[in-house]
Amino acid sequence: MSNIKAEINLAHSPGYTTLAFSRDGAFCYTGGDDCIVRLWKTNEGEDQEPPTAIEAGESIMTLATSDKAWFSGSKDSDVRQYKAGDPDMEAVVTSSAAACIRCIAIDPPGKRIAVSSDEPTIKVIDIEDTVNMLILHGHNDVVRKVTWEPSGSFLTSCSADGKIIVWDLTQQEPKQIKLIDGVIPALKDKDSRDFAHDCSAVWHPSGQYFVVGSRTHEIVVISRDSWTKTSTFSSDSLTGVVYALALSPNGVYLASSTHKDVQVWSTQTRRLLFTFPNATTDFVTQLAFSPTKNLLAWADFTGSLYRWSDPIPSSSPSPVDPVATSLVTRPKRRGATPTLFDDDATARKPNEPVKEDTGLGGAEDFENEDWILDDVGDGMEDDLGAPGEDGNALVKEMVSVTKAQPAFQPGSTPMENRKRYLAYNMIGVIEVTDQDTHYIINVEFHDRSARKAYHFTDYFRYDLAALGPRGAVYACQPENEHSAHVVYKPYGNWATQGEWTYELSNTVRVLGIAAGGPAPSKSMRTLSDGDMQGNGNVVVATSDNELTFLSGTGIERCSVALDGDFVSMVAGPEWVFVVQRDGTTTMDGSQNLMGTLYDFEDMCVLQNRKLPIRKGHTLRWIGISEEGAPAVYDSAGVMYLMPRFRIPLRGTWVRILDTERLERKQGKDESYWPVGLSEDTFMCLILKGRQEYPTFPRPLIQELPVRLPFRGKDPKDSPLEEQQVFARESMHLQITRDALGDEEIPDEVLARELALDKELVQLIQTACKRDKLPRALELTRMLHHTSSFDMAMKVAAFYRLVGLREKMQALKDDRVVGDRPQRRDWVRDYDPVRPPRLPPADVQRGEPRAFQDFGPPAVVHRPGLARATLTLPPPPREDLYTRGDDHAPAATLPGESKRKRADEDIVAYGDAAQPDSIKRRAVEDDEYTMPGPPKPRANPFAKKPSDTADGPRNPFAPNKSLHKSESFFDKVEAAETSKWKGLSRSRLCPADGWY
Amino acid sequence: MALPVSLRNSVTPPELELIASEELVEIIPLISMERTAFISGAYGPLRPPNKAKIPLWMAINLKMKKKCHIVPPNWLSVDFLQDRLALETSRQEFSQFPFRFTEIAKLLLDVAPDDIQNSERIRSLLKDIREVRQAKSREGLQKIDHSELSLPNLCSMEINEIRPFFVRAMGVLTQLTRDPVADSQFDV
Repeated sequence: MSNIKAEINLAHSPGYTTLAFSRDGAFCYTGGDDCIVRLWKTNEGEDQEPPTAIEAGESIMTLATSDKAWFSGSKDSDVRQYKAGDPDMEAVVTSSAAACIRCIAIDPPGKRIAVSSDEPTIKVIDIEDTVNMLILHGHNDVVRKVTWEPSGSFLTSCSADGKIIVWDLTQQEPKQIKLIDGVIPALKDKDSRDFAHDCSAVWHPSGQYFVVGSRTHEIVVISRDSWTKTSTFSSDSLTGVVYALALSPNGVYLASSTHKDVQVWSTQTRRLLFTFPNATTDFVTQLAFSPTKNLLAWADFTGSLYRWSDPIPSSSPSPVDPVATSLVTRPKRRGATPTLFDDDATARKPNEPVKEDTGLGGAEDFENEDWILDDVGDGMEDDLGAPGEDGNALVKEMVSVTKAQPAFQPGSTPMENRKRYLAYNMIGVIEVTDQDTHYIINVEFHDRSARKAYHFTDYFRYDLAALGPRGAVYACQPENEHSAHVVYKPYGNWATQGEWTYELSNTVRVLGIAAGGPAPSKSMRTLSDGDMQGNGNVVVATSDNELTFLSGTGIERCSVALDGDFVSMVAGPEWVFVVQRDGTTTMDGSQNLMGTLYDFEDMCVLQNRKLPIRKGHTLRWIGISEEGAPAVYDSAGVMYLMPRFRIPLRGTWVRILDTERLERKQGKDESYWPVGLSEDTFMCLILKGRQEYPTFPRPLIQELPVRLPFRGKDPKDSPLEEQQVFARESMHLQITRDALGDEEIPDEVLARELALDKELVQLIQTACKRDKLPRALELTRMLHHTSSFDMAMKVAAFYRLVGLREKMQALKDDRVVGDRPQRRDWVRDYDPVRPPRLPPADVQRGEPRAFQDFGPPAVVHRPGLARATLTLPPPPREDLYTRGDDHAPAATLPGESKRKRADEDIVAYGDAAQPDSIKRRAVEDDEYTMPGPPKPRANPFAKKPSDTADGPRNPFAPNKSLHKSESFFDKVEAAETSKWKGLSRSRLCPADGWY
Repeated sequence: MALPVSLRNSVTPPELELIASEELVEIIPLISMERTAFISGAYGPLRPPNKAKIPLWMAINLKMKKKCHIVPPNWLSVDFLQDRLALETSRQEFSQFPFRFTEIAKLLLDVAPDDIQNSERIRSLLKDIREVRQAKSREGLQKIDHSELSLPNLCSMEINEIRPFFVRAMGVLTQLTRDPVADSQFDV
């Protein structure tokens, strides 16, 4: 935290201290309890000796500045005027009868000064002619603070009894527009420390709202449309009284002080951006942004002046420069104030641009502010016909120039609160924490079983990183002593063996990196000394305008020249998708981006096509869908996918999702930060409000359904859901098919085709129902399987559409003869580039997994429970014999002779004896005694196969056949005793032979 | 067990929890798993970071091993519960809740408080809701009638709470109100 430093000057003796910047930002005036005003030069450091103004007789309570002069209000009840930047008094503007001056405020044109004192009235005095004075009656207590609305038409005053009054000063007669009670705290004791808190209503430069610290310790936004609280600035970590508030000159930032800290907020997202911890020793009495510099100053109750230079890092928009605006989204209140300016009060022409106004709309379109100076508003000019109040004046005159989008790494965020994401994709997350001297890099994976999380300390300040399926790559920029380098850390290898560093020559910068490779087919958690499938591929884009292709082990393979400026890239399993700017951006707002797919195998261009980003929008994210197709997301919230990327140079960008039209988006202010894309889900982080990037802690990934942006609205005409599913499914089926070679179509694809046919039959049914026969025929032609035609014909028959049925039959016949049209198309197409075949993941093979079989369990054969009538001696081996037995139940002839059966037995034993295991034979003996007694049925057909199939009979068999002569009752007995043994044999018995 | 005697003859809360653990919840797995067959059905596949729906018992098991994040159901959020509490306190009837919400909420708050935003606040809200509903069911029991008692939207845990008393009370009431005339008609 030591890099945040403020210049501290002990300006005054402890007590209430006030400060104000001169309007040119050159001076900072402070006044305090010691009755002195000091004039600090803002461009000098801590060691300056500022001139002083010592006219005041008692402590200085308030300071204000205009272009030409500055004013001080003191407890001795005088308001004094000085020349700007000069400590010599010019005049006493006013004095109130022995009442302490509490606050003075000069209106933005610098013509009038509002003075509040311990009296409950406010004086509005013309500076040129101090006799010309308005007195505002309305408060019943001390008016603590007064502030002007940026156009100078309204005055807000905050009194000690907790009331805010908004005055309209555009007319001759001042009018009290609104009394807002209960927002600011009410205080009784004028000498209490609480009284020294700054409770001013701070107007946003746009004049749309003001912010004020509430009694409930919140920073409240009060809008001008309704004069009610519309929102708050809050953060969980911040509780406590808000001592002071200030808005940056362009209205982009809000500074506040609570406890002993000073915070800077973004007014767009209303989120905390920066904190200056332990800013003061006592509470802050006043905060102010410099009107011209990136400088925040505050005074505290110890009488010290603090100046924090560059509170806003250069990576964020400046707090001073006027923010260009593309849209003024709020409807303006018109007509109520036909003349906005009192002729006496201001000589300003209504349309004249005013310095304070230039910040208008800072709140409006933050996202575009950085790169595009848009001139929307031109169109609005006429019908608005508004005086300078809306402040669009400057913007209107701007020429439309499209700023080129800078290079970015998909899935990375800028540093915020010393933390950032370097990569966030479907594989995992790389988080970085800034520790001043070094970074801590923390890598986590969504699938902890596949890859192991790790973290390391980084002294090179890696600012680019990519998580690939087989390794993570990091890159740093050249800094004082070291040149840029790229480090690749494969997951599955021991660090010493797999990791490598690729040094770049001295001043070359790395613009983007990507790590690709086929998805691993085994877990990368277990480290090995080498993967047969390789470590993937690494691509580095450098400021030399080239792409360097490296293999996963660090071999330089190729350096491909880039056509234009590099913008972004992402690597897939077998190719890298590079986005580059083709020449320059166009005058009409298009980014002019080109997407190119380079094959890893031979560095050839697979696809080269312009990105479909609309004018005025930027590319937000590029990625790869689960199936491996390149995908693009733009700032308009549309996701594009290139499904048929495998056919060289023939891919098209298909709009697959328009987030603006999502159901959940309606009526909500949220945006989506893409992480990944699978077949039917869009994985993203949902950002609330105007938040642009995800923050810490890591939010959960949300799944949104992919809805093709179809426009069909009539669900009766055709089922929308089926159409969606059909279109989406056929697209993904296409991707899968492209990846197939000439080999046999796998079952998975056939199953998916069948599922698609089901959707089609549904659609055919609806078409038949609605009597749309041409549509039904068209759908029939799309069917994949011939069996599905039969289904379609049944549907036609059901609706009694005989003609249709016949046509369907004809189509079917045509299909049977002429193969599927799709298949033919498929051949006719340019050959899709197939994915490379991979070697197996490892040498040893895994066992089949447990619990993955969803079929019915194998039938357990329990001979003990089987019907005794069916029994025959079970076969010793599962060959032939069983086949013979299959016929048993069907062809049983009750009157079969005993002799026949005997023959069979002999055969059986001849068979059994062949395996010369005595043990087994013993089992056979037992089995043989098993046959059930009542009417033993022999299978007459069984004999044949056993006769023919088995050649020579076992010469030792006959003596076994002695058993057959045993009596019926013996057999019964044997069956009883061998019941349990029979059970144990069930393993040997084929299950199907007995039914 | 420290349950009052009256409760012992009905199902115990842990038993109800066991029953509730068959409900499906959404999780974000941290491990990948193929589709796997269990006795109650096949669940999966788990493909991080895609969400998956699995039974609560399995989610709890995985959570304990730090192998998943549980996505709390949408009714287990401060906003929802606050709304429901407001409804519950302002209206006479029971507001609608999932049948086994108490059991599921208890299990999730015990096992995965880190996955639930504001779990402490949710705890106290659930307690408030429970107290309001308990008061209502007591009130309902006062109006018990020998023929019917309709308390729609009562949840399993609440039914279980009033069951022992209710069963006996119904028995006694039926005896008391038995109409001898009506009975005698059938005697013949």
